[in-house]
Amino acid sequence: MPPVIEQSFMKALFHGVISEDMIFPFPEMPAEDRENVSMILDSVRKFCAASVDSAKIDREHEIPAEVLEGLKGLGLFGLQIPTDFDGIGLSSTAYARVMQEVASVDTSIAVTLGAHQSIGLKAILLFGTPEQKRKYLPKLATGEHVAAFALTEPAAGSDAAAIKTRAELSPDGTHYVINGSKIWITNGGFADVFTVFARTSSVEEGQKPKITAFIVEREWGVKSGPSEHKLGIRGTSTTELFFDDVKVPVENVIGEVGKGFKVAMEVLNNGRLGLASGSLGLARTLMKLAIERVQERRAFGRSIGEFGLIKDKIARMLAQMFALESMTYLTTGMIDQKVADYSVESAICKVMGSEVVWEVVNETLQIAAGIGYMSDYPYERMLRDARINLIFEGTNEILRAFIALTGLQGPGKALVEVSKALREPIKGFGLLSDFAVRRAKTVLGRERMSRAHPLLSHEVVIFEDMTGELANYVDSTLRKHGRRIAEMQFAQRRVAEMAMDLYALAACISRTTRAIERRGEEGAKREIDLTRVFGGLAHRRMATIVSEFARNDDELRKSVASRAYTDGAYPFDIL
Amino acid sequence: MKILVPLKRVADPDNANKVKIPASGEKIDTTGLEPKPNPFDEYALEAALRLTENGQTPKVRAGEVIVVTFGPKECDTTLRAALATGADRAIRVDTTDDKLDGDLVARALKAIVDREKPDVVVMGKQAVDGDSNQVAQLLAEYLDWPQATFAATVHEEDGALLVGREVDGGVITLRVKLPAVVSVDLRIVAPTSVYSTKTARTFKYNDGVRFAALPAIMAAKKKPLVELKLADLTADVAPKIVYNAFQAPPARKAGIKVKDVADLVLHLKDEAKVL
Ligand SMILES: Cc1cc2nc3c(=O)[nH]c(=O)nc-3n(C[C@H](O)[C@H](O)[C@H](O)COP(=O)(O)OP(=O)(O)OC[C@H]3O[C@@H](n4cnc5c(N)ncnc54)[C@H](O)[C@@H]3O)c2cc1C
Repeated sequence: MPPVIEQSFMKALFHGVISEDMIFPFPEMPAEDRENVSMILDSVRKFCAASVDSAKIDREHEIPAEVLEGLKGLGLFGLQIPTDFDGIGLSSTAYARVMQEVASVDTSIAVTLGAHQSIGLKAILLFGTPEQKRKYLPKLATGEHVAAFALTEPAAGSDAAAIKTRAELSPDGTHYVINGSKIWITNGGFADVFTVFARTSSVEEGQKPKITAFIVEREWGVKSGPSEHKLGIRGTSTTELFFDDVKVPVENVIGEVGKGFKVAMEVLNNGRLGLASGSLGLARTLMKLAIERVQERRAFGRSIGEFGLIKDKIARMLAQMFALESMTYLTTGMIDQKVADYSVESAICKVMGSEVVWEVVNETLQIAAGIGYMSDYPYERMLRDARINLIFEGTNEILRAFIALTGLQGPGKALVEVSKALREPIKGFGLLSDFAVRRAKTVLGRERMSRAHPLLSHEVVIFEDMTGELANYVDSTLRKHGRRIAEMQFAQRRVAEMAMDLYALAACISRTTRAIERRGEEGAKREIDLTRVFGGLAHRRMATIVSEFARNDDELRKSVASRAYTDGAYPFDIL
Repeated sequence: MKILVPLKRVADPDNANKVKIPASGEKIDTTGLEPKPNPFDEYALEAALRLTENGQTPKVRAGEVIVVTFGPKECDTTLRAALATGADRAIRVDTTDDKLDGDLVARALKAIVDREKPDVVVMGKQAVDGDSNQVAQLLAEYLDWPQATFAATVHEEDGALLVGREVDGGVITLRVKLPAVVSVDLRIVAPTSVYSTKTARTFKYNDGVRFAALPAIMAAKKKPLVELKLADLTADVAPKIVYNAFQAPPARKAGIKVKDVADLVLHLKDEAKVL
């Protein structure tokens, strides 16, 4: 066994190490969970079929009160809350699968439920004291209380550490007084309990602020603005929140004072998987619409599904969805197996999920063409609804940077230690030799993925080769640029995108291997074919990136953009 | 009131067109079709639940509903779904469908009725796979109980049920003394079809069958589900109906287009010979 260098499959991959024991065998829901989840899905489907009218929700900018009550009555507000606190106690995998189903019916409902439990109450679940859990979780589980997550402010979106909302400790030390405002808070109009992030240190230029997370009850004086008008997910309530001397008892600090940023990041790491599975749910609904449409609609004497360009769209969409599903449930499976470090994996799932569903909705609308554009049909609404996923819970740009920089941290540290060790060769010998062995492996031969089924050997070679390319690039870039990499976003994008395709491919290979082992080549035909199509797509994307490692026009593009900022507009006109 | 509800798991009736018959003609092949509870049995369960509650929220249960099925281990899922929906106990008689016919099921059910002594057996009028429509009638005969079939409404009275049945041009209402066997039709799940003596006649149910709330799904695991052997219920386990061969119905011939009404009349007279 090689030494475990990282607790995360993807972090290890940045070192060039394939920790295949973390992804083989492909995780599977225990039989009992499977039965429970099928019954839950059955109830969700029946409820939605009888009570949810998505066109009406979109038109009236509101989820009807009866529908929300129905969802609460079903138990959908307490999916992951333990049964001890009156929740349903679902695993991460089961939770993600249920959210997938909800999102396949209605994105507004999925986002409302997600804001409540994927992020709104997640801090209490992950970091709450037993008293906090006892006090808040039971009512949140039944939906008697609804939660929201309040981080974003007008001047602090992606740069969440820049928040200005202050929490000051009262002189007697019994409570904090919160002042400030938040913006674009989902469920802001009706939530009863808020996870609020505020700074607990004074504002000083250049000083890193200390941020603390609080549980704040509406009753203590939280005011909301009117509902914002939005492109999509119009049934969700998105509002400003105002805190004017809101008194919060010290017992309501979540986690440690000053450690709120970590709380926020952990909550989001976890919440992103619900967003990934939700994206898959919507994509599945679209795929059904697309398949029906292409067989029904005729042009030039044939159904349009007969045309190559249409088939190409369908095949690509299927392959990307298969990859998304595989990586999402690989990741939730890891969480259920108590893998503690999944931040890179879940960020990848969020980016991939939101971009796959965006491609699927765009192509499906294209296939539907004229009717796709008409408001009497669901396509345009779904397109508007899908768009939010690329923006919230960390924009896809921020997450690309996060994936790259988090991945680079490990190899970066290792390099620093190695250079130290080189200066003190005797003391650092063990470290140095470990490192040397690893480097020798990635430079001289490839690191291997041995547990994949031989039928997938072509895809495995792509995976191994590209892992080697990524690790070598990471190594050479770190040696050349060191900490400056933090400013090199062109390089970060390449690293992040390779990481995404590698994770997706690994997940497809693992899942398809299991399918072949269970059902044989013929029985696993669909999985094998989609892994091959996805492998081809990913290979071409990664090959392009690798070619850009050597040669690119990054500097030219930067200067073009900078000049445009000076020009102030598109500089040409044919007049 | 204590009610026994027999349930059958069938191949997805919405995809019945995917059923295949192998060349040998020895069976009907339903592989690839998702197993589902027989819809009429789901209606029967809904009716039974309505008969054992007061219609108010939170619902107060007034009685017991026992569900029973005949099938392999996989059918436990169907039973647990019924428990999650509100049934109190479940029994699975371990066997497979190819070893059964309506008569054998009725005889086995009689044995279960003898043990459980329910006030009424409420069941679907037929299973949508075989469509035999026999078990309720046979069971009533074996038990020597009154029967009311194809019920569209059931109103509980003291010691009896008032059962409405749709017939051509109207509804006939029967009063059956308990204990009795009732088989239900799809109208039974309409909002005002079923009332127990505890439910106000002004109360309206949601249309259709209810579905399980998530906490009930999780709690259903703790409800009792026992397995019985068919041989424990009846000494004679040989079916009376033997299937020799299965055959798909002949494919329909393509139609023809007629020129005008005169042509149509001609065809109807000479070819179809219906005029
Ligand atoms: C419908 C909706 C619901 C929301 N719900 C919630 C909620 O419940 N709770 C909550 O706290 N917030 C919520 N938000 C806020 C959301 O999380 C933020 O909009 C998001 O984090 C982006 O912040 P911003 O809009 O200020 O964009 P900015 O941070 O201003 O970013 C603008 C652009 O610059 C890019 N950018 C920024 N920094 C960098 C960088 N370092 N490198 C490269 N590119 C960069 C971004 O990717 C983006 O493209 C919601 C937003 C919307 C639209």
